[in-house]
Order: sequence, then C-alpha cells, then structure tokens
Amino acid sequence: MAAPLFELKQVSHQFGQVQALTAISLCIWPGDRVALVGSSGAGKSTLIRLLNGTLRPNQGEVWALGRNLNQLRPARLRQVQSQIGTVYQQLHLVDNLRVVHNVNAGHLSRWSLPKALLSLLLPLELETATQALAQVGIPEKLYAVTRDLSGGQQQRVALARVLVQDPLAILADEPIASLDPSLSREVMDLLRQLCQQAGRTLVVSLHDVGFAQSHCDRIIGLRQGAVVFDCPSPQVSDGMLADLYSAPHE
Amino acid sequence: MSSLPRRLLLTPTLAWGLAGLGAILLSLLAAGLFQQDLVNLDGLPLLLRFLSASLHPDLSREMLQLTWDATLITLAYAVCGTALSLLFGLVGGLLGSEVWWLAVSGAGGNQVQPPPLWLGMRALLAFPRAIHELIWGLFFVGLWGLDPLTAVLAIAIPFGAIVAKVFSEILDDTPRQPLQVLLNSGVSPLSACCYSLLPQAFLNLLSYAFYRFECSVRSATVLGLIGAGGLGYQLLLSFQSLRYDQLWTFFYALFVLNGLVDWSSARLRQHLGCASRMALNFKPAAAPLLAQQRSGWLLGLGSALLIAYCFWYIHPDFSRLWSATTGQRLVEIYRASQPPDWQLLPELVSAALATVAMSVLAIAFAASGGLLLAFPAAHNFFLPGGLLNPGRGSGRGSASRWPWLSLLLARALLLITRAIPAPIWALAVVFVLFPGILPGAIALGLHNLGILGRLMAEVIENLDQRPLEALKAQGAPAGLVLLYGVLPLSLPQFLAYALYRWEVCLRETVIVGFVGAAGLGRLLSEQLSSFDYPGLVLTLGCFLLLTFAVDWVSSRARRSIR
Amino acid sequence: MRQFILAACLLALGACTQAQSPSAAPSAIPPVNPSVDATVKPLTTGAIPDQDPEKLQRLYGKLAQYLEAELKVPVVYKPVTDYTAAVTAFKVEELDLVWFGGLTGVQARLQVPGAEAIAQRDIDANFHSVFIANRKSGIEPLKDSSDLAQLKGRSLTFGSESSTSGRLMPQYFLQQAGVQLEDFKGQVGFSKNHDATLQLVTAGTYEVGAMNEEVWQKRLKAGEVDLDNVQVIWRTPAYYDYHWVMSPAAAQRYGADFPQKVQAALLKLDPSVPEHQEILELFGAAKFIPTQNSNYGNIEAVGRQIGKIK
Repeated sequence: MAAPLFELKQVSHQFGQVQALTAISLCIWPGDRVALVGSSGAGKSTLIRLLNGTLRPNQGEVWALGRNLNQLRPARLRQVQSQIGTVYQQLHLVDNLRVVHNVNAGHLSRWSLPKALLSLLLPLELETATQALAQVGIPEKLYAVTRDLSGGQQQRVALARVLVQDPLAILADEPIASLDPSLSREVMDLLRQLCQQAGRTLVVSLHDVGFAQSHCDRIIGLRQGAVVFDCPSPQVSDGMLADLYSAPHE
Repeated sequence: MSSLPRRLLLTPTLAWGLAGLGAILLSLLAAGLFQQDLVNLDGLPLLLRFLSASLHPDLSREMLQLTWDATLITLAYAVCGTALSLLFGLVGGLLGSEVWWLAVSGAGGNQVQPPPLWLGMRALLAFPRAIHELIWGLFFVGLWGLDPLTAVLAIAIPFGAIVAKVFSEILDDTPRQPLQVLLNSGVSPLSACCYSLLPQAFLNLLSYAFYRFECSVRSATVLGLIGAGGLGYQLLLSFQSLRYDQLWTFFYALFVLNGLVDWSSARLRQHLGCASRMALNFKPAAAPLLAQQRSGWLLGLGSALLIAYCFWYIHPDFSRLWSATTGQRLVEIYRASQPPDWQLLPELVSAALATVAMSVLAIAFAASGGLLLAFPAAHNFFLPGGLLNPGRGSGRGSASRWPWLSLLLARALLLITRAIPAPIWALAVVFVLFPGILPGAIALGLHNLGILGRLMAEVIENLDQRPLEALKAQGAPAGLVLLYGVLPLSLPQFLAYALYRWEVCLRETVIVGFVGAAGLGRLLSEQLSSFDYPGLVLTLGCFLLLTFAVDWVSSRARRSIR
Repeated sequence: MRQFILAACLLALGACTQAQSPSAAPSAIPPVNPSVDATVKPLTTGAIPDQDPEKLQRLYGKLAQYLEAELKVPVVYKPVTDYTAAVTAFKVEELDLVWFGGLTGVQARLQVPGAEAIAQRDIDANFHSVFIANRKSGIEPLKDSSDLAQLKGRSLTFGSESSTSGRLMPQYFLQQAGVQLEDFKGQVGFSKNHDATLQLVTAGTYEVGAMNEEVWQKRLKAGEVDLDNVQVIWRTPAYYDYHWVMSPAAAQRYGADFPQKVQAALLKLDPSVPEHQEILELFGAAKFIPTQNSNYGNIEAVGRQIGKIK
C-alpha cells in the first residue's frame, strides 16, 4: 500500500489550560473513509483542524501528503492545503455573495489574483461551477444570493466549493449536525458518493454513530483527547460505543 | 433599606462629565472671558452689510459662469481626492488590519500576538492623519506649486490614512471564519480576502466611502484658500475684495453643492440599507452585495466615468511626483529645517494650551448647538405622527405647517453652517470679535455644528422606536418622552460623535489660525510667512503630540460612556 | 438611487459643455497676441495680492499684453491668494517675474539664488506707510513718531503678515516708539491687504490701521475714501519697497539677456503714450526706474529684527 495520506506522530494540543488532544498517533491511508466519533469536547474538531493545517500542534508532528506541516514555509503549506478540502458545520460561506462566487472560491488556490478579481465581476469557469452544483443537486441556484438558500442548500454549496477545489482528501467537521434526519442522509450519501467516484479520502466527524457505521469503513473513537478505539466499522461493537459515551473513568 | 444596591457616587461617566465641564470653564478663562475686550461692537455695521448682501447676490452672467467653473473644480478635486484616498485607504486598511497580518503569518489559528509589522503599519498611518489637509497642501505647494496635483494629494493623503484606519477597523470587526476556510484550503491571503472579508464588509466600506466624499467636498473648498482654485479660492478673493454680493453667489453655490452631495449620499445609503453615516459602530451588512444588482453596476459605471472625467478635467501632473526637482526640494526643505529652534518651546506651550482651549470651546459650542437643531431637523419628532407631536398626524390644518417649517429651517441652518468653511466663518466673526481664541472657537464651532447637528439628527431618526412608542402610548407628555426615552437612548451616541468631532476640531484649529485666530495655527501662519522652517518643524511636532494626546483622551472617554 | 444617477449625469452633462476650455485652476489669462509663438512656454508674471484682487487682475492683464508685445514671448498673469504663496510660487518656478514688496522680495531672493531685483517705480525708492484712524476713535493726527505711544490701548490692524508697508515698517516704527504688539486692545488683526485695512478702519472694526500710502492716495484720488469716517494720522519716514524680481529660470529659458530686455521694456513705459499711461496709472507711478538687490539691505535688517526673515 502507498504511503499514508495523513500521519499523526505523538500529537498533543492544548488550548490554554485545556488539554484537547493527548499523544495521538494514527495514519490515514488514501481512499480511507474515516469517521471520528465521540462526545462533544472529545477532540474531534481539533483533530480536523490539525489535519488541514489550521492549527499547529503543541507537541508531536502532523504529516500530510508526505510533508511535515510544522516545518513548511507558508507557500509550501498552501500547496499542501490546496489538496485538502474542508467542510464545516457552520459552513462559513460569504452569505452576501452569489452562489457562483462561493463555489468558485474553490478555484482560488490555483487562480491568479487578477483572474480572481475579474471573476467577481464576470463569473468565470461557469461550466465547472454548474457541474459541481449539478453533482450536489442544486444546479438552478447558480446565481442565487447565498443567504437566500435554506440550510441544506447552503451545505450543498459548501460541498460544491470543495468539489471545485478538487482535493485529494475531504475533511468534514460535523457536516450534518444542524440538519434534519432526511437531509443528513442526503448529505452523507453525497459525501460518500463524491469520495467513492474520485477515490478521495474522507475524514468526517460525526455525532451520529449510525451514519458512521453506514457510510464509513473505519471509525476512530475519541474520548477526552485520546483514541479509545480505531477499527473497521463492522468491528465496532455496542459495548465499545457504550464505553466511548459513558462517564469518564476515574 | 440596606437591601437596595448602593449607588456609586462617582461613576466613570460622571467623572468624565465633570472633567469635560472643567475643561470648558478653563477654556473660557483662557479665552479671556470677563478679562479683556473680546467684542468689537464697532464692527457691527460691516457684519450687517455682509449679512444683508445675502439678499442680493451678484447674479450677472460672468459671475454665474465663474461660479459654475469654480464649483466644477471644487467638485473635481473632491472626486479625485476621494478616489485616491479610497485607493490608499483600501491598501492601507488591509495592511493596517490585524486580520491581514494574521492571515499572512501563515497558520494563524493559534497565533494571538499581532506581528510587529502590524503595529508599525498602524503607527505609520497615524502621522498623515494628524496633520490637517491645509498643512499638507501648503507643504505640497512648496514642492509642486499650485498644480492640481497639490490639491488632490493634500486631500488624498490625510484622508487615505483616515480611511485606512476606519477600513482596518471594519475588516477586523468582520467575522473571520470564511477567510480562515479559504486560507486553510491553500488560497493566498490576498485572493482569500477578496472572496471573503472584502465582500462581507463591502457595504460598510461603501457607506463610509460616501461619508468621506462629503468630507472631501468640504476639504476641497478649504484647499481653495491656499490658492488651489475652486470655490474656496473665489470665496477668499471676494472676501479680500470685500465684495459681499459676489461672496454670497459663491456661498449659494456652496450650499447647493454640499446639499446635493449630502442628499444623494444619504439617499444611496438608504437604498443600500445602511443607516449609519459614520461607521463608529459597525453592524454586519444587511443587504445583498451591491455589485450583484443592476443599479449597482450603473452606480459603479457612473462613478468610474465621473472619476475619469474629473481627472481629465483638472489633469494633475503626476510626473512631478518622481521628478528630480521634487527630490531636490525635499532635500532643501529638510536642510533648511535643521537644527530645530528649541528657543521656541515656551511660546509653543502657551500656543498649544490656547489651541486646546479653542478646540474645547468649539466642540462645546458645536455640540450644544447641534443638539438643539437636531431635534427639529429629525423627521420623526415634531412632524405629524412624530414622537413629540401631540396630534395624531391626521390633521392637515394650518397647525401642522409649523413642524414642517421648523424642519426645513433647522436643516437649512445645518447645511449653511457646515457648507461654509471654518476660515471663512472666522473672517466673518472677526468683524465683531477681536482676533484670539474666541472667534476661532466660534468659527470652528459654527462649521462643526452643522456637521454634528446632522449626524445627531440621523441618530435620532434611527433610534429604536419601540420604547418611545410605548412611553407615548402610556400618555407621557412630550417633555417626559424626551427625558426618559430619547435622551437616554441617544445621548451616548451624541457624546461619542461629539468626542470624535473634538479630535477633528483640534486639527482644524490650524486653519482658523491662518486667518488670525490664536494658538498654534497663528504661530504656524507667522512661521510660514517668515519661511522659518526650524520653527515650523517644532510647531508641527508639538501639534502632532497634541493631536495624539487629544485622540487618546477622546477614545478613553468614548469607551467609558459606551 | 435613480435621483443620484440623474444628478451625476446632469452634473457630467453640464460639465461637458465646459469641456472646450478645461482650464486648470487657478485660471490664467491666456496670451492674446497673435504675433507671439504660442508653443513657447509662457513667461508667468505674478504679484503679491496687496490690494483688491479684482483690480490686480485688470492691472496685470494689461501689463501682460504690453510685455507680450514687447518681448515677443507669451506672457500670462497668475493670481495667488497671499504673500507667502507668491514667494513660494516664485521659489518653485511657477512664477518667473513677480511684483514683490520689500520684505517678500528679500525673502524670495534669499530662497532663489540668482534672482535679481530689476526695476521699481519712481515712488518705491522713497516709500511711505500711513497710519489711518477711524474718526469716531477721537485719535488726532500725530506730530512725530514718539506720539505713536498714544496708540496704546487702541485696536489695530495690519495688512498681510508679510507686507512691508502694511506690517513690517509700521511695526518697526512702533517698536522704535516703544510700542509692542501686546499694548494694543485685543489682538492685533491681519486684514490681508491694504484695501481691506482701509475698509475695516472706515467701518470701525478697528480704530487704527497701517497701510500703504500709495494705495491710500490712489483710493483718495478715485474718491473711494470716506473721509467723514477715516483720516490719516501719521506718515512714516521713507524706505525702499516694491520691486520687480526676475527668476533665473527665465534667463535660462529665453536667453541670458532676457532680464535686461524685461528691464528695458519696463523702463520704456512712457506717461506720454496713452496705453502706457494707463498701465502706469494703475501702478500709481510716473515711471519705472532700475533697482538692484543691494537697495534692500535695510529692509532685510528690519525683517531679521522683527523675525520675518530667519
């Protein structure tokens, strides 16, 4: 098998006095579909932010695409980051821009500044944007103002942006936490499908263990910043989950 | 009784209030009230002649032609100056914002300390801002003569720094997550800002840009006084020739120009859905991005054409910027200013005190006058259906005409006071007052009264109406609605504006100094006419320190009343 | 919104009708003489705005026409708003030939090496200021300079800060008589020019004013002085005042003998020729005479003493 896409070596991170992650080591391989599960505050979001280079760990090393993120200069880091797409629970779209610009933002790591500016006036590469929106099921919203879309539609815009970015890996931080069950299923199906089609790696943090088991092939259980289990989905037992969500051991 | 919370006797707000009153009293003393001759009643006939000329302005053909040309020049200076200042401001604002440096410094997520470059940038922007446009103008005249370039840059540089400061504050107050998302997907900081921060903050930036344009029109007028042409120049010439009928022709042109610009800028902001004229407190943009509407395109195109036309009309000679003589003259001026004349210090201290006194009196005058006029000028007060109108608003009788009249009158007064530049007010005031702190303060006060009064009227119009309606519905008389509803709701905002305007007043003391008022301005004018560069450097340095000190006090006070 | 665009369009349209004459400010009178080569950079004349700016405009318009015909180069007049601006404009080569006062001329020549005083009026070698007073003030004409001390406690206005006849010399003579500026009532005013001083004193805004005698005489002759309200109370001793100063840049541009040509053209003005007489009358002179930098040593000394020259 090829080299790991992500590798954490003894990574610890703390925010002020709060220990978010403690001595985590793990590898994520190309094509993996990994679910991060655990209760709130277990360190799922921190882990994702470490993987995409938003955070630098206090201790240990984060490797992505064969590079140590801690040691990269900004330009190099950006190169690596352009291969990692991230979807957030709060989406972080610019809501007074039209959908097409939010989708085209996926191009930005490749576009020159003049092209980016021009596109704000006269949207460029419309075909790619339309295609991406068609893939997520809302091709008709190309010129809608983002704020006018429903929550589910905005989630799809965020996905379309990641599609346009065309990364090797998609990181999704609680992508369905604020969606109703049927929408959640649609979005999870979409995520799985988008990764399967292009052989992308998926790392998704989830509250809902059901979706983790149905849509991912590997589940990592986190509790209080430590890995409790890390195994293929079918092997995750009810006992392991009960243990994961139980009150912390003294 | 012991269960009641004890009242704090000296709250910070009260302390600031007392300090303010004390400052006003001290300033009155410094102005020589009750001590020396201030009023010169012998000048009354001349003042009357000046005022009565307003009834018969010179409307001859050549005069109207001249007025039209002068108005265009002033407008063109304002347009070009604003365009350049926005350009500087956008670049400077980005470079002066914390968020930009955090974005550039790479993985910014866990970085808390702003980089030293950022602080350096902020300090760099503070200098051009502290010096009034007129002084920049005089400095540039020494470099490039009376080329339109002088006027345009004299507006663009200090205004650019002000715009940069405000823009950077707006950008720093804008939610950062969308930017962070783009940065994390490997986008370069500049492109990332263009697709997140800038569109997010666009409406606030635009609204402020229009406010700046209004200010530019007033500055372009003042710059005429150094000979740069336009309405200010013609005004001064007519004043010096004591041709009051001509003077009033120019005044009327100035009223129309200011009125038109202020009105259209207000309409635009209303259309955009952003009420606050001056972005002292930023709210997230509410309306869809302008660039996405047809009218937005039209506006953009119109502005671009107007800017291009204005640059063509005055054709500033930009090649002078990098010409060898410019460098040579800079070196000459530097040499001439060395070494600074330290003997000046005692005189500087007394002049500086006079300057502060003048600015304090000016703002006290402007704030109280502005407050008085703001209520009749606001459209939701005395008009039928308004908060302080006892009627129901259905009456169409002759009684309902008065509120309209007072509204128009108040607005006209505000327009007139702010349209006429402070130095021209000063020239009129010295008819009946001896030169000194008081006429300078009154002139500055009159000009700023017009500006503050309108800002305050807007505050009143944008007040949260619900508590006031509730009070009125309860049957409270108008006076009580005012005391228990309007004042508590609006006073903090009023004071914040007044304090902000105080900073501006201090800078403007320089320009009334040129027409004989006291303080650092008069000293500066004397030194300029003596080509006393060593003294000039020191006076300017003193002025900078004073400006920083006043800005600091004002921002402290504003924070405590918030 | 629509209104705004409309307003902008109107403004732009209106402006377009002006487009044929996109004159940069401040407006300069274009050369009118058809015999003159318009491609040559014009000789720019200027003057300290010591009197009613409108009268200056007429005066220098006429002079520019005359010089243009004599010198065969285009000549324009460029007005400035104050004395300091005239010196600055001369320094940055925006003005080539300037009618300076005594003090401003010295200031200008100190800042522009090679600048030459070339001519002055017959009256300038022997110039006077007058102190004028409003009659209501009850101040009677003074007998000699020591009587200036009587002015203590009165209100006083000068002309421009840099005026020789309206500030420098009057202040000098006051100092000689032991009167300081602080001795006057209120603060001393600066009216900016002699006509303004005359009007302010006539109206009573100030009780006393110091002004140029030549402007006083000219307004008197024209019947523009309200003698019921204002009178001369003292005439200063004589001193050197106004003169033409030529920038070295002009000689570079038009040839080394150009200053002599200009001087000759000025000296040639003859009161017996009607067109010449008109110009001379506007200047209040019988004729122009040569002058040189060294004539103003005294003015420079006084200027340094008062602090107007550093």
